[in-house]
Amino acid sequence: MLDSIPSFARLVAELAKFPGVGNKTATRLAFFLLRQPKGQAEALAGAILDLQRNTRFCSVCFHITEQDPCALCCDPGRDATLLCVVEEPQALLAIERSRSFKGLYHVLHGALSPLDGIGPEDLKIAPLISRLEQGGFQEILIATNFTVEGDATALYLAKLIQPLGIRVTRLAYGIPMGSELEYVDEATVNRAVEGRRDI
Amino acid sequence: MILENLKLRCYRNLTEADIAWNEHFNIIYGQNAQGKTNLLEAIYLLGHLKSFRGARGNELINHAEETAWVGAVVTQGVVKHRLEIGLQKNGRNPRIDGKTVQKLSQFLGYFRTVLFTPEELSNVKGFPAGRRALLDRAILQTEPAYLDRVQEYDRVLRQRNQLLKQQADDFQLAPWTEALVRTGSRIRHDRQVYLKRLLPHFCQVYREIGGGQESAGLNYSIEQMPLEQLTAHLAGALERLALREKKLGLTLAGPHRDDLDFLVEGRSLRAFGSQGQQRSFLLAFKAAQVMDLEVQFKEPPVLLLDDLASELDNRRQEGFFNFLLNRRGQVFLTSAQTPLLTEPVLQTGSFFKVDQGMVTATSPERG
Repeated sequence: MLDSIPSFARLVAELAKFPGVGNKTATRLAFFLLRQPKGQAEALAGAILDLQRNTRFCSVCFHITEQDPCALCCDPGRDATLLCVVEEPQALLAIERSRSFKGLYHVLHGALSPLDGIGPEDLKIAPLISRLEQGGFQEILIATNFTVEGDATALYLAKLIQPLGIRVTRLAYGIPMGSELEYVDEATVNRAVEGRRDI
Repeated sequence: MILENLKLRCYRNLTEADIAWNEHFNIIYGQNAQGKTNLLEAIYLLGHLKSFRGARGNELINHAEETAWVGAVVTQGVVKHRLEIGLQKNGRNPRIDGKTVQKLSQFLGYFRTVLFTPEELSNVKGFPAGRRALLDRAILQTEPAYLDRVQEYDRVLRQRNQLLKQQADDFQLAPWTEALVRTGSRIRHDRQVYLKRLLPHFCQVYREIGGGQESAGLNYSIEQMPLEQLTAHLAGALERLALREKKLGLTLAGPHRDDLDFLVEGRSLRAFGSQGQQRSFLLAFKAAQVMDLEVQFKEPPVLLLDDLASELDNRRQEGFFNFLLNRRGQVFLTSAQTPLLTEPVLQTGSFFKVDQGMVTATSPERG
């Protein structure tokens, strides 16, 4: 049925490529756009084009940016002896939202996963090491995800950084704030018990 | 633990069923290839989220359909829960009391079952994988979190094997080896702790069922030791095997290669056991699992017996049914002929006939 309206079908097909969006949602979104005033559709199209045109990865930390180096790397107020390594820009944003970290960042753009054909050369690991070799950093906080792949990446980095004589730390595991112990899954409780500390 | 009722839609050849069960004995009978074992498999699925026949999800769905559904009310202690499993061609959707579970392991533990099937007899004698599966399935019923640990290990193992196949250097291999040692020694530890707990029940029941004086034992291929030592042990083994691993492109040590040896009078059943001994052994292993679950959860698990009568000689059958009769728990058994049942079963049991995928409650027919 959609085939008889090629421009509509094309938009649905493009929208259905989004993560978490299937054909039904794509069709709903297309109808929504169809009913919008002309200026609205143009604004959306323009925003998408601008995003592609204006952003790139920072040549220092590989976060998304419009200026190179990025605002975070250029900020003189940040602690330049402390570096936090994350898998994806989303993780960086999550840490920034918490306002708990005042150092600099490095985005790997993934984690080691041989089954997916992702090795060290596919991640921003070589630029990380050359950054560290330039000196100045006293601590590297590894904040890769708590998955099998994220853990292995953390161990790999720790071994790689060790000869440089810089302190390497890993984000702590534990119980989410505001949650009651009885509702936390066993694997998390297990790791929290293993990682207990004196008060 | 009681299965109160069971509803099925498009499950294999059982297109529609709604059955209220007896809280003690349920005898499912009928000709071959009518759907008896399918019914038992659906009950097993509620406790294990897996078929005991190694079938994948889409094989459980009636070929004429896209989806299937299994629903049940189970009583755990004094609380009733509604368990449902939606089956699609590409996955399962388990729900507890109408709520979707976040992790599969959450679903396990709501309905504990122990299965007896002649198909598993080949495990006693066959490849180590079969015996590891027997052991792992038993542990899962007592500790659902074991599933998360097994899945984590499995993922690490596959990643590491991939690197070995690619001839990756030691530096790239190191983090995966470390993860393998951590997760693998944990699984070995879980298995050893379980077997240690099971052994006294097992020895006792082997003597009762077999009726003989033979001593029986269970021997895990890795010596028992504390977790820290297991960790060092596995790390050492991998170090020694490093060259061969690279040549073969495979991880050569870890719980995925361990074995469980069944011993009679100190000798391996695999090499020396008679058919009769192997049967007694499997029954004793399962019965010990039942006893352990009763101790752990203060409630008997549900027993599923698939076509067992045909596999046992009369003397063993009698000993085994005596064992069952002395349990308080719920029992489901399938049989092509009405089995040799003792009077108490005939008096208190309910009978269900399966004919061309239709299930009907009937009065006992003596065969």
